Amino acid sequence: MVQQAAVTVEGLVVAYGSFVAVDNLSFTVHPGEVYGLLGPNGAGKTSTIKALIGVLQPRSGKIQVYGMPLSDEVAVKSQIGYVPEEVVLFDSLTPREFFEFIASVRRLEADVVNFRLERLACALDVKQYFDTPIAALSRGNKQKVAITAALLHEPKLLILDEPLIGLDARSSKILKELITFHAKKGGAVIFSTHIMEVAEKLCTRVGIINKGRLVGEGTVEGLRKLVKSAEGSLEDIFLKVTEQEKDMQEIIRALEEGQ
Amino acid sequence: MKIADLWRLSRTAYKEVSFQSIFSLRTGAILPQKEADIGRLARSAEVNTLISKIITTIFIAAFGFTIFLPTAIGMGLPKVPKEMVIVGGVTAFLAVLLFLIAFMGLQVATSLVSSKIVEVLSPLPLSKHDISWIVFLCFIKIFDIPLLIALLVFPVLYAFSSGSFLGGLASFLSIGVTEIFALALTMGLAGFFYSRILSGGGRSKWKALLRFIFLIVWILPSFGAYLVMNFAVQIAQTFASMTQILSSLQFIALIYPFSFGFLVSYASFPSEINYFILTLSIISSFGYSTLAAYCLKFVTSFIRRIGTGVGGVITPMREIVKDTIIRPQAPWFGIIRKDLRMASRSPSYASLFLLPALQTAILVFSFSFGEVGLSTILGMLFGMSLVTLLLPPTLLSIEGVSSAYTRSLPLKKRTLILAKTMLTTVIYAISLVVLFVAAVFLKKNFVSILAFGAVHTFSVAAASMLELTILANKFWKGDFALGNVYARLSTFILIIIPGFAMVLFPILAALIAYFLADYFVLTIFSTIAILEFATMMLAVLRE
Repeated sequence: MVQQAAVTVEGLVVAYGSFVAVDNLSFTVHPGEVYGLLGPNGAGKTSTIKALIGVLQPRSGKIQVYGMPLSDEVAVKSQIGYVPEEVVLFDSLTPREFFEFIASVRRLEADVVNFRLERLACALDVKQYFDTPIAALSRGNKQKVAITAALLHEPKLLILDEPLIGLDARSSKILKELITFHAKKGGAVIFSTHIMEVAEKLCTRVGIINKGRLVGEGTVEGLRKLVKSAEGSLEDIFLKVTEQEKDMQEIIRALEEGQ
Repeated sequence: MKIADLWRLSRTAYKEVSFQSIFSLRTGAILPQKEADIGRLARSAEVNTLISKIITTIFIAAFGFTIFLPTAIGMGLPKVPKEMVIVGGVTAFLAVLLFLIAFMGLQVATSLVSSKIVEVLSPLPLSKHDISWIVFLCFIKIFDIPLLIALLVFPVLYAFSSGSFLGGLASFLSIGVTEIFALALTMGLAGFFYSRILSGGGRSKWKALLRFIFLIVWILPSFGAYLVMNFAVQIAQTFASMTQILSSLQFIALIYPFSFGFLVSYASFPSEINYFILTLSIISSFGYSTLAAYCLKFVTSFIRRIGTGVGGVITPMREIVKDTIIRPQAPWFGIIRKDLRMASRSPSYASLFLLPALQTAILVFSFSFGEVGLSTILGMLFGMSLVTLLLPPTLLSIEGVSSAYTRSLPLKKRTLILAKTMLTTVIYAISLVVLFVAAVFLKKNFVSILAFGAVHTFSVAAASMLELTILANKFWKGDFALGNVYARLSTFILIIIPGFAMVLFPILAALIAYFLADYFVLTIFSTIAILEFATMMLAVLRE
């Protein structure tokens, strides 16, 4: 029996007016997989993620989450835990009030959610900020609040847009463990990052996007074969696939000559 | 750095503060940040700030021409000596000026206090002294037009109309002192608000009560401005009459702004001098001017603290957390609770919540002018519903700041619409209770008020659903960022006009029925209101 994909994206096109941010993108993520979306700034990663969670209306293409079309909005979103790239929450609320709002909208049972919340708050070290307005928190602590909120309902699919930015070493390590554990339990994770070492260590597969197109996809080993490099790191592969390697060398040479 | 250069740099900082007041609401929104779009927003922000300054100036000018200047040319009240009319006029004008500038200031002070312009300026090769000057000049730019017009134009016009240079000079001093008081009030409240409310969380009932008290203090200037706008002439007359009655007490000359009223009056008409009152007014005016000098020092040091980041304008408070327990509710209740919590920390939202009840309390004054007939009741209901219907777009715009996040939640459009409709209806019902209690207390046709008010609640709920449906559909399609609704006046107006029409419809029908077949007035009124409600309910449930 074929296992149902967690996420299926076919021919996704996202455009802002005449500017096409995501161009005919297709990929699949299976349960138990950690799928890394990599790409230079402005490549279309965040647009792809926003389309996946139904925040952006794609121009065309098909997205399915656990076999459900995105039009089945409430059912799809119930399966997803999302951490946005730019953590803009309700700043005047405290984390406790924010979690109460999230738990209410997600119709979570008080006993169950309080048990999870206690564990997550201790793990991510946010308990001490529970009654401090979100506006007064540092970026890293806001990020922790967003991560906690995304995990409250134990989603089957985690979508994390640059989740490690601003996190301290301890929380970063815990989040990585959480991601790995989530995948081991059969959940799926899609996350975008600029940190190649993290992607290399965590991801089962990566998809490299450049100028809105998928220019490389597979395991790190598979990508090495693709670029005919036996030893290159994911960073080298990334630069090669996104055709930035040559430019990089020229820029570095120019900088050195300018010294 | 030269002052001219600082002035030029402050223009950039000022543009940024105006821009942030709009753009911050877009953060987290779903629209792409396209260059053309940003450019349009930047222009729109500048125009908005300019419009706000012009509107305040127009109000000041209107009160200046209707209250302040007529007294200078001898227009007055029967049986009230002209010098007392001047005292009343000047006193009322100064009170208006204080409230209007403080009201306008409170709208922008928050964006200045919370703005990040210092973070942008700090890494540049500018001294702390220069940066604090830039922030100070930026602050002045926020208020420049109304402050300058009030300070320069009116004293000159007053001197010409009264023919008294000394009177003009005294009015210049009194207006200057009032402006400084208004600025100090604005910045003091802004700082207090941020340090005690926004930066301080807390879940105890005591904290919630404290927040409520601070909010009332914060929005008092708004209500003061609203009150004087509605009853300016009556206030001026009351002040003049009061002055005449209380002048025997003489010590009224010690109280601001009466002291300046006496000063201007005696400076304009030296022949009418009461030397004892004059001495008192000179002493107290000197005292208030000294206080104004201290206030100016406070304002400049406050701005400098924003400019240098020293001294902590915002002092976050950390709560001792005992547990992590939360109490989830049904989604609609969760939304309402969240909206009320957010409103309790935002004066602009809070004032909109309180405005319908306040409007009603003010409308109740008209009860004293005679019998309360059907047209008065319907007129009142219409007025109350208009103010209430400003609330739905605000309630939806609350989501705007983190609309991208809200959109990622499994939230049905209809849940959002119905929750916010429920809140709007409750706010309207509270103002109805105020009206009903006043009517019972004054023994004025309270049965009709109760009957028509209760029925009209259906129409208000329907209108609220209509406004919210239009706005939520636009939001769901990604047509615009929710928090940005006030930056797009056309969008805002197009949303509230259908709502206004909906609440007006049963009222018009009832008035027509009153002339044609008055037995059916309540029947027709009820039928239309309930039909509107049923239609909108069906439409929302289909969403």
